[in-house]
Amino acid sequence: MDGVSELASEPSALSTAIGLPYTDAVVVAGALVLGITSGVLGAFAVLRRRSLVGDAVAHATLPGVCIAFLVAGVKDVPGLLLGAAVAGLVAALLMVGIERAGRIRPDAAIGVVLSGFFAFGVVLLTHLSNSSDADQAGLENYLFGQAAGLLERDVAVMAALAAVALLVVGVLRRALTTTLFDPAFAGAIGLPVRVLETLMTALLVVAVVIGVRVVGAILMVAMLVVPTVTARQLADRFPSVLVLAGLVGAAVGVTGALTATRGQLPTGPVVVLTGFAVAVAALLLAPGRGVLWRARRLAARRRTVRRDAVLAQPDAPVSGLRDRLARAGLRRRGLLAADGTLTAAGQVAAAETAERRALWTAWLEHGPSISLPDAREPDPADLTGSLGPEAVAQLREAVRGQVVSGYASYGTRIHSRPPEGAR
Amino acid sequence: MSDGLLIVVIAGLVATACGLLGPFLVLRRMALLSDAVSHAVLPGIVAVWLVAQTRAPLPVIIGAAAFAVLCVLGIDALRATGLVASDAAIALVFPALFSLGVLGVTRYAAGIHLDLDSTIYGEIAFVPFDTVWLGGYEVARSGLVLGGVVLLNLVLVGLLWKELKATTFDPQFGATVRLHPRLLSRLLLVASAVTAVAAFDAVGAILVVTLLIVPAATAYLLTDRLVVMVALAIGIGWLGAAAGYAVALPMDSSIAGAMGLVCTACFVLALLLSPRHGLLTRRWRRLRVHPAP
Repeated sequence: MDGVSELASEPSALSTAIGLPYTDAVVVAGALVLGITSGVLGAFAVLRRRSLVGDAVAHATLPGVCIAFLVAGVKDVPGLLLGAAVAGLVAALLMVGIERAGRIRPDAAIGVVLSGFFAFGVVLLTHLSNSSDADQAGLENYLFGQAAGLLERDVAVMAALAAVALLVVGVLRRALTTTLFDPAFAGAIGLPVRVLETLMTALLVVAVVIGVRVVGAILMVAMLVVPTVTARQLADRFPSVLVLAGLVGAAVGVTGALTATRGQLPTGPVVVLTGFAVAVAALLLAPGRGVLWRARRLAARRRTVRRDAVLAQPDAPVSGLRDRLARAGLRRRGLLAADGTLTAAGQVAAAETAERRALWTAWLEHGPSISLPDAREPDPADLTGSLGPEAVAQLREAVRGQVVSGYASYGTRIHSRPPEGAR
Repeated sequence: MSDGLLIVVIAGLVATACGLLGPFLVLRRMALLSDAVSHAVLPGIVAVWLVAQTRAPLPVIIGAAAFAVLCVLGIDALRATGLVASDAAIALVFPALFSLGVLGVTRYAAGIHLDLDSTIYGEIAFVPFDTVWLGGYEVARSGLVLGGVVLLNLVLVGLLWKELKATTFDPQFGATVRLHPRLLSRLLLVASAVTAVAAFDAVGAILVVTLLIVPAATAYLLTDRLVVMVALAIGIGWLGAAAGYAVALPMDSSIAGAMGLVCTACFVLALLLSPRHGLLTRRWRRLRVHPAP
């Protein structure tokens, strides 16, 4: 092992830095490179709703690997990688071409190319195993993660390709962003849309071909999608999503690879499961967007509405568990007395609620006629805060004018009923 | 029945089962769900082995079908959050389930014959060797299973033809006239999952995915009528089965692979030469109307 580490530059430095055996360090370095690259490039695919292009390209590398082996006659990594990349590129361009022909939708185009190429690969594979060439054994394992057999040279090739991909994205990020979000506009301002799209497809193919070595073909799909899905829950601006996706990809790759080496498990599945857990956590917990977060906000809003309804009509007959719970909550806060009437504090709160409602009614009725510095939409729960005291004074003025003219109670009556869903 | 004819008939049964559902999947833009399902069943097979220590067909199919349905419903749930697009939902769920299966195989089942080759690439060439006795006749087991699946799909599509058609082309209209589009969609997905599971046990995953997508996409290029599309999809599937076998035999190549390639060749021909939508026919028509100067 010493003899091998002497040849190493980056990975052996890495292995001493993080205190791992040489093979494990190579695997972790590979996962790191893969995570960053697929995170950044996956963003372009996922936001275009082409997440599964990665799947098709990964399957399409099989015939490429077989042909490269047929031509070269040996299992050397750069040659096989080249074959895989060429086949993947052809497949990706065919997909875009079939889509562009008009009738076939993206998902069917991806499916047709995937099955066609994979069937071709399976046929080639049987021919290779019939040809009694002993060296062909294990060629199909190219499809599944063989990270433990990863060599330092593989990582070097991967790092070089990754660097090129990141450099291209860095230099062309404005043009790429424009093409991604608005191809028609990009074409109108003279950007070479087709060239850029082909370039992005090529970069994606690079990422997939890199990943096929580390996590395997089927599992590569997750590495393209997980970072972007996670990053998208945490950020709204594309540059932030891009950077975050790279970071999430790196973190997932390294965490998964380390867990796998510790637990003596295959690298690919562990990396993918780590990524899946991260993505699901982001979907559930992301601030402001996550499923649980939204559920909590919705529950809080429902509670407020029910309490407001009780405050508005404390003597209404008690109906149902939720009404009971709302009343219990008000009692805990000292707004409702034990006999169901409002306490002094409760009366203040009820007056505030009624005032808020009256103000909202006034806004609905007179909103268009008052003068505002800008065209913002108010928050129904906090009109004063969102519109400012100036506008509120104008609204009050408008309502007072209407009282004089004599039909003030109309709107108030309509809107002072408890809102829908407050029962 | 000779072995060759039996293989073609089995593949044809798969083509029929897939041809009945494939057009609906392609029209609903859910074509790739079949690919997801055929990978997601692996943990089901592993779980059956861990629990019951068996590779008997019936428990394996039940376990696999359970995870196939889990996969479909998981994708549906992720899509329903509105936070991820449906393609990303597919791409999140099935690799995770597949990884779970691979982990299970390497951790608990490494010693037994439960490797990826035997579970993912069921081999159609072995179909004639797996037979059961039924009423004094020796019949291929997978033929029996697939016959049942074809019947099931035929009943489903036949009984719900009008409803499936309406909700496929206009889900809003379907919802308006109370056809329960989501329920129908789930029913279709579960049927596809069961079909995929039964078929992949017999002929391998790649042939199932191919037969679910490629004939339907080819038929879509050739016709605008749904009933013709279904009939064409089944026909192209049978053509692929017969011609694929005929090609594979003299070349001593993978039968499933050759069948897939024939289907793909049909798609390419349709893409270029379809009377209405073909690339070459459209160009030719344009040239005839506006002759080049």
